[in-house]
Amino acid sequence: MKRWLALSQDWRRVGYAVIAAILLFVLGQAVHPGFLRLNSVATVLVISSFVGLVAAGQCFVILIGGIDLSVPWVLNAAAIMLTVTSLGQEGRAPWAILVTLGLGVLIGAVNGFGVAFLGVPAVVMTLAMDGIMEGLTLGLTGGFTCGACSSYAPPVVQAMAHGASLGFPNALWLWLAVILLVSGALTLTRFGRATYAIGNNPLAAFLAGVSVPGITILLYAASGFFSALAGIMLVGFGGQASLGMGEPYLFQSIAAVVIGGVSILGGRGYYLGAAAGAVSLTVLVSVLLALDMPDYFRSILYGVVILALLLLYGREETG
Amino acid sequence: MSEAVLTRRSRASHVVGQNIGLILAGSILLLAILVYIGVYLIQLHRLPGNFAVTSTVNSAMPLIFATVGQSFVVLTKGIDLSVGGVVDLSNAMAAVTMRNSPGSMALWSVAILLVGAACGLLNGLLVGLGRLQPIVVTLGTLSIFQGLAIRVLPQPGGAIPPGYTNLLVNPNHPYALIYVALLALAWMGFRRTRPGVDLYAIGNDEAASRSLRINVLRTKIIAYVLDGVLGAAAGLLLAANATAGDATTGNGYTLTSIVAAVLGGISLFGGRGSAVGAICGAFITTLIVNILFFSHVDPLFQSFYEGLFLLIAVVAGGVIGGTIRRRR
Amino acid sequence: MIEAAIAAREVSKAFGGVKALTRASFTLLPGEVHALVGENGAGKSTLIKILGGRIVPDQGEIVLGGGIAAQGGSGRGIGTVFQELTLLPYMTVAENLLIGREKRSRLGLIARGELPRIAEAELAGLGISHIDPRALASDISLAERQIVEIARVILTAPRVLLLDEPTSALVEREVAWLFDQIRQLRQAGAAVVFTSHRWNEIASIADRITIFRNGTDVGTFTAIDEDEAITLMTGRQMETMFAPLPPEPSGEPVLELKGARAEGTEPLDLSLRAGEILGIGGLAGHGHRALFFGLFGAPAFLAGEIRVNGRPRRIARPKDAIRAGIGLALVPEDRKTEGLFLPLSVRDNLTLPILNRLSRLGIISFAAEQRVTGEMISRLSVRTPHARQPVGALSGGNQQKVLLGRWLLTKARILLLYDVTRGVDVGTKHEIFSLISRLAAEGFAILLYSSDAEELAHLCHRVVVMRRGAMVAELPAARLSAEAIVAAAMREAGSETARREANV
Repeated sequence: MKRWLALSQDWRRVGYAVIAAILLFVLGQAVHPGFLRLNSVATVLVISSFVGLVAAGQCFVILIGGIDLSVPWVLNAAAIMLTVTSLGQEGRAPWAILVTLGLGVLIGAVNGFGVAFLGVPAVVMTLAMDGIMEGLTLGLTGGFTCGACSSYAPPVVQAMAHGASLGFPNALWLWLAVILLVSGALTLTRFGRATYAIGNNPLAAFLAGVSVPGITILLYAASGFFSALAGIMLVGFGGQASLGMGEPYLFQSIAAVVIGGVSILGGRGYYLGAAAGAVSLTVLVSVLLALDMPDYFRSILYGVVILALLLLYGREETG
Repeated sequence: MSEAVLTRRSRASHVVGQNIGLILAGSILLLAILVYIGVYLIQLHRLPGNFAVTSTVNSAMPLIFATVGQSFVVLTKGIDLSVGGVVDLSNAMAAVTMRNSPGSMALWSVAILLVGAACGLLNGLLVGLGRLQPIVVTLGTLSIFQGLAIRVLPQPGGAIPPGYTNLLVNPNHPYALIYVALLALAWMGFRRTRPGVDLYAIGNDEAASRSLRINVLRTKIIAYVLDGVLGAAAGLLLAANATAGDATTGNGYTLTSIVAAVLGGISLFGGRGSAVGAICGAFITTLIVNILFFSHVDPLFQSFYEGLFLLIAVVAGGVIGGTIRRRR
Repeated sequence: MIEAAIAAREVSKAFGGVKALTRASFTLLPGEVHALVGENGAGKSTLIKILGGRIVPDQGEIVLGGGIAAQGGSGRGIGTVFQELTLLPYMTVAENLLIGREKRSRLGLIARGELPRIAEAELAGLGISHIDPRALASDISLAERQIVEIARVILTAPRVLLLDEPTSALVEREVAWLFDQIRQLRQAGAAVVFTSHRWNEIASIADRITIFRNGTDVGTFTAIDEDEAITLMTGRQMETMFAPLPPEPSGEPVLELKGARAEGTEPLDLSLRAGEILGIGGLAGHGHRALFFGLFGAPAFLAGEIRVNGRPRRIARPKDAIRAGIGLALVPEDRKTEGLFLPLSVRDNLTLPILNRLSRLGIISFAAEQRVTGEMISRLSVRTPHARQPVGALSGGNQQKVLLGRWLLTKARILLLYDVTRGVDVGTKHEIFSLISRLAAEGFAILLYSSDAEELAHLCHRVVVMRRGAMVAELPAARLSAEAIVAAAMREAGSETARREANV
């Protein structure tokens, strides 16, 4: 036990993130009785899952000291891609989902290529990609005015976001699967070891035979994939794609990852923490909404709470 | 001990090698100006006149100040995502407070710049004392500053006295260039002070700077405070341009200022670059928007071309810079 | 009794539970050169950082002599050259040299334009004329950087000069320069603390020697011979430093290099047999690094052929080398940047290149991993509480063993050992030497570079000396000696410049 405590500061941070999420739920119950009803908890968790999906990709790239700023418009492009390829028809749905996820992977891979082979800083590469996707999405859809643009998500996609199986929301089943998959990939596989190795020391990783560019591209592709997946789920949740729907997910995904105890410098942290961070952020917003606070005050408190959480346990050790 | 005196590079070669970022930024700016003139000539069959130049300069002004502010922080190996929030806050305050009297204008300008300084101080303290990463600190404070801005000015509106507009961004003549010159001059002065040297030192290597007894905390706070002041100045210029306030128009300056700083040759890894480059970068970014506008590019595609251009500029700049350094 | 220039009284310091110093005492007298010797992790660097005011001890006190205190307490009058270089890479030599004491113009602003001229003059005053003050610190060689670092501190005219391994990157001529400077300071009444792992340096410059072991001082001497010092440093008798060399092998070569050319080298030829220890010698910066890293594909050779076990192999990146059965263990020039993942565990550091062997469908078998790491830890007697310990918490020597262990685990039969003993303490050095002999006896082919000619002469079957990117001499066992290596490395060094100039 003592050994566990002494060793794994990174896991301890995951613990803090989980505790923070639980405390925020309790706080919600205190200021707004009924907040902890099963129903409302489930709703909050479903909404968290959208941030959580994006955070999975963000977590991957932050673990190698990168960042993905292209989230907003990859997500948005995916959302519109799904609606225009499926046209709301059930039969087209599987194909549309495949194409959409493929789009995400492709864009992510291009990001990874730019970072790994062209040596463009991740901030610049993904920022440029965000602009490129924004321009393409707006331009090609005529600013979301195209005929197919107003199509609804196919019922199966809507069911994915709203429905439930075995008494548990489908969105949460999906998220659970993602949590298991991502955590497993990071802790149990060669791929995970290579990721942490690159995050800690890219040169040493290269000299130990890790194919740094390959892993980098894979991680950015995964981030594109998760942004696209979140786009699909959000279309399912809201029914339609809308302009700027990806905007909030950039900063929220980064905040979730960091509150989850992942070092923004790379190499340290776990996705489980980021998932807890996503829940914390969503609960916080819900509590503030439940308190009927004006917009501006919500925004301020949101920033204050993020900073407070980070000050409590998110500091870098002094070197 | 030195029987072998190595051949030395010429002074010019050092100047070129150590200022590649700046030289590239200047070259891109020159190219952008030429393309701008060319497109203007083709579309309107005349050279850009006083009005076109003035409006270009004026529209670049807020970005120039925000970018120079951003540069102070980036030079310390940080990044400021909250600069958009500071621009919002300052913009909103200006629209609400400014009256049409010299006293009111002066007083409130100073007050708003001080608010900007306070925002920067908060960032600096959290980064320096709180030992948090700049990117997450400013992510949090962005939310706070934006909230405050909306509190000050819930709906777009308010009014900026015309006198203030004439003073800051004269709509008839590009007098605003004077402020750019003053900014560049102030920068060169700052570069030659203790904090100016320390700024570069901690961006180069923070641990080594500590060993050299450089006051890292003080230097970071100075950088963030100056960043805040310049962000607030950008907000004032934006308000003067629009002659009214809007608590959300500043948001875009966060990412645009980073783009402009990168185009201006400031390394995101810290310790390299100059505010003169940042000014070039801000002009380049503004000119691209104008070029796209005059080329009748579908405005919906605008971000696409901007993104593509940023990528090409950075990749090409890297290749050219690398080649020059090797060949030298 | 003379008043001490600076003294530490029973100071203790711990870093996150690891004790670096335990009630250590040290007295530095004015006008003396005082060598601080001990194994890595004995607490020398920590003591120097404490004396230099860089860190604060947990317990104990630092007493400053009158002359020092008068200049304003802890900082002033004390100059420190830390083991980790502190030059700022993207600033010029002049800016680095003068930082903190730049000349001001009448406006009170720093006269940036004048800095190079001032720096040039100040460097010339110290007898340095080969370093361009206008060059960026990142553009000059490691040795030059170390010299600038030392010059910067000397130029502040310290009353107490603390030098932590100042010679690690320097060649003999530069060391001689440094010792000249130290003697001049001593003459002027300054006190100097000096650490080094090279005994001949200590013997030639030190007035007194204090030996450290396990975070505390075990004795101060005015004269002590090396064997006695080593016994005190390690706490055990050192029979002989070098293990006996296994017999020279005669089989087919396992590694051949034909006409391999890297950036900055001539075409190189080389052949290495199983069981052979082939040394590569010569002064730093003469192409050894390009040879070793070229064999490892990082970056690959520009031209030429590599044969492993008689078959030509294309080695474009480290992964190819690892597949071909080549392992590269190295002490990076800037410590710890090219080998280890400090926050990661000993286990993760050991098994990274062999995970494909330990996993199925990409999923790692923890049981198998546990087994191989446990074996390697005991085989190399890595001193770590358990395999999950972050490698950064180990001492330097043990970190080096982890790095060696990584390549032994790959089952590589060809080992490239690049300066593996630099900055490693005597005890660990001895362990590494006997490991190298043992490995050769087991049939490993070993290519060894060391900056220490003595080491090469004792450890290798034969030694190839490189100069200016070319192999200029091969010394078979019969002609092998440290003097021969040094002679071959230095031969014609002067006339060669003249000839090159004549050719132009």
